Amino acid sequence: MIGESTLLASAFVVPLGMLLACLWPQARNRMPSLLAFAPFPALAAVLLVASDSSLAIGSTRLRLTFAMDRPGAMLLGVSALLWIASGAYASQYLQGRPNHAQFVVCWLMTLTGCVGVFLAADMVGFYFLLALLTLGATGLIIHHETRSAWRAGAVYIGLALLAETLLLMAFVLLAAQIPGDSLLIRDAAAVLSASPQRNLILVLLIAGLGMKAGLVPFHFWMPLAYSAAPTPASAVLSGAVVKASILGMIRFFPLETALPDWGTALAATGGFAALYGVVIGITQRNPRVVLAYSSVSQMGFIVAIIGMGMLAGDGRAALAAAFYAAHHVLVKGALFLSVGVIAATGSRLLWPMLLPPAIIAVGLGGLPLTGGALAKFVADELLGDGTASTIATLSAVGTTLLMLQFLRSLANTASQDPQATPAVGLVWPWLATAAVSLVVPWTLYLTVPAGTLPDPLSPAVLWKALWPVLLGAALAVPLWRWWRWLPRIPKGDIVVALDGGMRMAVTWGKALERLDCVLRQWPTAGASLLVLTIALGAAVLAR
Amino acid sequence: MPEANVLPDATTTDGALLVLAIVSPAAGVLLSFVLGGQYAERIAAVLLPSGLFLASIIFVDVWRSGDRLIYIVGDWTPPLGIALRADGLSAAMMMTMAIVICAVAIFALADFGTRAGSAEARAPFAFWILLMAIWGAMNMVFLGGDLFTLYVAIELLTFAAVPLVCLDGRAETLQAALRYLLFALLGSILYLVGTALLYGSYATLDIVLLSRRIHMEPATLVAAALMTIGLFAKTALFPLHLWLPPAHAGAPAAASAVLSAVVVKGSFFIVVRLWFDVMPGMLGPAGAQLFGGLGAAAIVFGSVVALQQQRLKLLIAYSTVAQIGYLFLMFPLALDTVSAELQSSGALTGGMLQAISHATAKAAMFMAAGIIYAVLGHDRIAELGGVARAIPMTIFAFALGGVSLIGLPPSGGFLAKWLLLEAAVATGQWWWAIVMLAGGLFTSGYMFIVLSRAVAPSGEPLKPRVAVPRYQEAAALALALTSLLLGLVAFGPVDILQAGRLESMLVGPR
Repeated sequence: MIGESTLLASAFVVPLGMLLACLWPQARNRMPSLLAFAPFPALAAVLLVASDSSLAIGSTRLRLTFAMDRPGAMLLGVSALLWIASGAYASQYLQGRPNHAQFVVCWLMTLTGCVGVFLAADMVGFYFLLALLTLGATGLIIHHETRSAWRAGAVYIGLALLAETLLLMAFVLLAAQIPGDSLLIRDAAAVLSASPQRNLILVLLIAGLGMKAGLVPFHFWMPLAYSAAPTPASAVLSGAVVKASILGMIRFFPLETALPDWGTALAATGGFAALYGVVIGITQRNPRVVLAYSSVSQMGFIVAIIGMGMLAGDGRAALAAAFYAAHHVLVKGALFLSVGVIAATGSRLLWPMLLPPAIIAVGLGGLPLTGGALAKFVADELLGDGTASTIATLSAVGTTLLMLQFLRSLANTASQDPQATPAVGLVWPWLATAAVSLVVPWTLYLTVPAGTLPDPLSPAVLWKALWPVLLGAALAVPLWRWWRWLPRIPKGDIVVALDGGMRMAVTWGKALERLDCVLRQWPTAGASLLVLTIALGAAVLAR
Repeated sequence: MPEANVLPDATTTDGALLVLAIVSPAAGVLLSFVLGGQYAERIAAVLLPSGLFLASIIFVDVWRSGDRLIYIVGDWTPPLGIALRADGLSAAMMMTMAIVICAVAIFALADFGTRAGSAEARAPFAFWILLMAIWGAMNMVFLGGDLFTLYVAIELLTFAAVPLVCLDGRAETLQAALRYLLFALLGSILYLVGTALLYGSYATLDIVLLSRRIHMEPATLVAAALMTIGLFAKTALFPLHLWLPPAHAGAPAAASAVLSAVVVKGSFFIVVRLWFDVMPGMLGPAGAQLFGGLGAAAIVFGSVVALQQQRLKLLIAYSTVAQIGYLFLMFPLALDTVSAELQSSGALTGGMLQAISHATAKAAMFMAAGIIYAVLGHDRIAELGGVARAIPMTIFAFALGGVSLIGLPPSGGFLAKWLLLEAAVATGQWWWAIVMLAGGLFTSGYMFIVLSRAVAPSGEPLKPRVAVPRYQEAAALALALTSLLLGLVAFGPVDILQAGRLESMLVGPR
């Protein structure tokens, strides 16, 4: 067992150690080429550590626990693969660019937080690593230090810290409910459904995790952040990092107990987000922004799966949502990497280079035999035959359309120089991620859910997956024909409302400052002293 | 003496250490006067580290035994004589303040150091003497066993702190110092009147004796209210904070660090002694809510005004106004709303931990601001660009201090916030929880403003005006790291802050 806990610990201790090593300039300079190796312990832990083994640090008063559960292992494994590929991509990407040090520090911080969150089994650890993740991710988003990058970073960290504030309140409320001193997430989830403050806690959890997951209406940070961050950072942020909140939902929500009201609300919000992301996304022309809106849509879909599980009290939703999310980790990562690769590709090589993103992009819409079809197939079990199923089909059609729009905008970003070829160091991590995104869902499907599901290769299933894709492709023709008539929606759509709120906040702030000036005058301060003395005297006497 | 068996008050082993902790700074001050200014620094260089050593021995003693250290001065037991007592609160605070003061002393070597053989200069001479005086006064605040000793201590503290504000002798700092002095004196008068009223009623000011004799009657409560408001004025609790921003922002960096981190905690500590030890549970629900309301207003006002500041040191000073507010939230949170009795020890631990983590973090931040000022020649936030490249270690220290103020784990600020939130949930006072959480968001707002400006590139490469000594940056970073890792005390087996708490603490009003 010692071996297992060492492995478990090394998953986040190795990146943390590399982060601390960055205190030395020599180590910092060598670090870009080592980034790809940091996630290997995490991958090893997933492959070698048995499920349900755990590691506890601390005393009886406070204990940090790390454990591997099934959904966590699944997401950690695929995330580690994406982190490895993106790390390799980043080491090539950083060559000849300034600010290495800042990038590697933020990268390792985000990686430590990401791996840690996937393994954290208690609330304090979860909160801590989530905060580390947020700080690192903010650093990655503002890496280019342009005006829009700063704005994206400010919006992201503001919303993320608000989310963490809500989560902290939820955690404290949960900790008060748990009998004894335990802070384990498992125990928290167990007391949640019977807790007298259930509704408040669920609101806090859904809002907090929803903000971090980019659930509509908290999605506006995604297009800003993903278009501002460096390519490899966008890949890990959109692929691996946002899944932390999905895992949070899986772990905290009482999926075994049916909570129809909450399940319906969550599923409806998720379903709405799944369609909303598509509708706004098809009006965009920057491939990164299109991908960001696709993330909004896909995250909404995953939340809808969890919501349906909560509605029915179906514990299988945990694994189904994790499986769908695992597929999205790899696909979205590969697609973001392709944005960087295609931008360095000239017209001569463009068409062969567009083939891999085309396959996995349409796969996201559910193209048969791809991982996307498999993920949708697994989710289908939970969605039933009602409205949810209709929304899923609509989302498949829409996602296909959105992905075709992505490919079109991607082709437009190709290099002006027809002879340009991307560096090998960029191409192979990207191709590897693309290949892995096709293979791994099948591997997971064959090993994890133990084949209790009906055959995904039967003709009926294949057809059910295929026709939405064909319909989406057919719809692309009229869309592009009348595309220029579509309204031009700024990226982040409702984020413009924030500017109005900002102005109001500044006015209020100025008013408070003036009031402060008045309060700091001698006459006012003297009067306050007198009033306070009387007030306190009255307060202690009056009972 | 059969009396001695009844009273728990008898000099304990190692009790003499408490006397040493008060006498040695006083001796240092006197010796500096006798030997002359150029020796003040050397005397401090010997005494301050030994003070840290002394504080750690007392700390370990209290921790090991889980009980108080007591020294009865001249073997005259109270009410006739004076007792010095060190419980868990005193030991932890003494330790913190010794660490902060030592770090400040290292930091100040650059600004107030005297070269060997050079003549006596006014500012260094005053600084080292005042630093030792503040240290002695703080120890007296923590160890004093009766309300009059505490009065003497808090006066000493004020008179040592005021000149620190105007060390550079500029007109505006003199004005700030006078403002501070006058307002603090108003506070002293109120405190003294309250003490006189208590003595008139109970014929003793000893904390332990008083806590046994005291009962609810108008004179007692009026006395307590007067003393409390007097201490509020000295702590600069909103809306009595008129003196704090100009004083803390105008002083030299090392002095600002001491004023913000150490001095305001002295009067706060006496408020805690008063309501937790002398008259536990007598604050009542209305009074406790008033404390909390002032604290909440301080958090909101201080943070929002901090967000608007153009100058770094003023921003940090307003952040102190806000952070003082957190300290006072522990009073309503420690009081059970239903039974009106002092309940959860978590709130007390959380509040004191907040004081400790703020002390370390804020001192680090003021030092960092001082270094930034030295390098740039100004501290206008809008023009901080490029400073993170020039002095990365300092900006890192500033950021770590901010992490503790925001309350992100594993900082002491996080643990404090967690404990206070837990108490808020346990006593059903969710409104204080909202204020605490909102305060954290405001704090991250102004930290983001400063840090984003600091890491932004500058137009032309930044030329530091002075070379910053490495040890200055190290002192700031060490304090910031202390604050950051303070949360790890939760892994420890015992809670030192609860050591030696009187049983009477949990008894309701009589």
